[in-house]
Amino acid sequence: MDLTARLATRRAAVLLAEVPGWAVARCAVEREVRARGWRLADSPADADVLAVCGRPGARLGTAVDLVWDQLPGPRARVDVDDPAGAAPALAAAAAHLADLAAQRRDAQARPAEPARGRPAIEAPPDGDDDEGDDMDMPMPGGIPLAGSGDDDQLADPDRLDLDVLHVPLGPVLPRWPAGLLLHTTLQGDLVVAARAEVLEPAGEPPRPGTLHGTPAGRWDAVATLLALTGRADGAAAAARLRDAALTGDVPRRDAERLAHRLRRSRLLRWSLRGLGTLPEGDAADRLEHWLTGADRARPTTLDQVADLVTGLDLAAVRLVVASLDLDTADRVHVPVESGT
Amino acid sequence: MTVVQVSAGWVPLAAVLLLVVATAAASLDGALAARADGQQARSGLVLPVAGTVRLFRQRRRATVAADTPLRWAGLAGLPTAALLMVAVVPLGRWTVADLAVGVVWFNAVDVLLWAAVWLAGWGPNSLHPLVGGYRFLAQALSYELPLMFALTAPAVAAGSLRLGDVVTAQQHLWFVVWMPVAFLVFCAAVLAFSAWGPFGAAVGTTTAGGVLAEASGVDRWLVRTGRYALLTAGAAFAATAFLGGGHGPLLPAWLWLLAKTAVLLAVLVLLGRQLPLIRPERLAAPAWLVVLPLTLLQLLAVSLVVVVRT
Repeated sequence: MDLTARLATRRAAVLLAEVPGWAVARCAVEREVRARGWRLADSPADADVLAVCGRPGARLGTAVDLVWDQLPGPRARVDVDDPAGAAPALAAAAAHLADLAAQRRDAQARPAEPARGRPAIEAPPDGDDDEGDDMDMPMPGGIPLAGSGDDDQLADPDRLDLDVLHVPLGPVLPRWPAGLLLHTTLQGDLVVAARAEVLEPAGEPPRPGTLHGTPAGRWDAVATLLALTGRADGAAAAARLRDAALTGDVPRRDAERLAHRLRRSRLLRWSLRGLGTLPEGDAADRLEHWLTGADRARPTTLDQVADLVTGLDLAAVRLVVASLDLDTADRVHVPVESGT
Repeated sequence: MTVVQVSAGWVPLAAVLLLVVATAAASLDGALAARADGQQARSGLVLPVAGTVRLFRQRRRATVAADTPLRWAGLAGLPTAALLMVAVVPLGRWTVADLAVGVVWFNAVDVLLWAAVWLAGWGPNSLHPLVGGYRFLAQALSYELPLMFALTAPAVAAGSLRLGDVVTAQQHLWFVVWMPVAFLVFCAAVLAFSAWGPFGAAVGTTTAGGVLAEASGVDRWLVRTGRYALLTAGAAFAATAFLGGGHGPLLPAWLWLLAKTAVLLAVLVLLGRQLPLIRPERLAAPAWLVVLPLTLLQLLAVSLVVVVRT
């Protein structure tokens, strides 16, 4: 491996695509990412490696393929089915990233045009062809402009009547519940309507498919929430505790030290206060529950998610969803509407 | 100590120096990240170089119907603004541009960042970058006025907008001693215009990287380098306006300025990793109701001292 390739893969970024039920495999990949001195990517543009954890079903698989098209390259894709496969998979990815000939072939085979997904909502069926109004509408890059939404437009508290956009959040989004697809209707960056569903895996996930209700699951939730609040060091510490919990016992002193540090941070509590309020409490309370190891009264359902995020801005939506610590592996897949 | 203006031929050297100090800051951040991941801290020191090689080797991403000229203006705007900022900061006895309105110049350039970051978000024609750009503007509404008034305090005390005069006025007593509020507010504003740590909403994970969500290759490198350079330029300006600039015993003046800048920069990098993100909409109330009045009181106190002294 020449020096350039070795430096370039020194801190490669890995985009995780977790299939519901493969949380343990995803954690194994995260641990291996840390062990290699790599990091997790924020978006496809930020990533060198796409790590698909589990076997995605048809719709999830299509989404993963689209994300793969968006990696800038040099790029490598690995599929990790069981935790033991994480280390060899990432080693293979590192070798592939450094393989200049293969990367050049890949780059030449790709279209220069950016990859396109399907529109977030299906275009309305073509009615009368002589309805000439649409012809005047400018279509930059073949995409219709966001418009005032007519039927979609909802009352805006600020009376701005902003353009309406339909944006899917997920299913491949870092620090996001596995397979969760949140169809949102945005006015500005405000979610005015939401519908949540979970995309299915292909076949039965391995046992145990979920971390929920275990110490590892709680630390996983803490790590996700901290990463979204921008506390990179705290998130890394929580992820290490989670991995320790998966293989054995959580080191008590480290756990207490992190919990103490987080409890002391008034800024953290203030930034989470009032987000995603349920009868049991808000996001700050739920973080406290995870830290004390207390189990919550009841799990959150998808309809609550759609309800809770309606009326929030995109960033707050991310924090609320992370604070709910959804268990998508139990495969609730009835779409639930809210806000309309 | 008088400040002399050197010829424009030294500008490339100033740019290199800025890049070197910014790289040192990135190394420190890399070492801290490696330690947090349970690795040897020194394995992170090489990360700025490795990251640069990685991004220079990466393809640039295209998006559908992108606004390429404006996108480039935004991306290149960050490092450019940082260089324009350090142009007025005297390195000991030398300065590249000894402007009579140096303090205002710095302020004008930092307002330029509003446009740069927003354009970097607008350019890709994509949701998350645009939201990131607007989040930066929302945050700017909170930090800009406190920053302006914090900058006014050293200018009032020195009776001049020229940075050389501001340094000379601190010959006996650093301004940080009798204007601590202005100093702290200024440091917070440096974090804010660099989109760093608690004020990193524009590039935060909650918006999938914000203005960086669609950037790869050289594009991403410009923004990353630009943010470190802005942090460096802000620290250098704070060292000049509040920490006595090149004043200090034994060592030459330029070394004193570098040392003060380095210490302040290290503190800013450390803080950025430790503090949680403050959402822009939460920031507005404390910024306008607490920080701005405090800054104005600080300015009043400084003005009274100046009036009484003369």
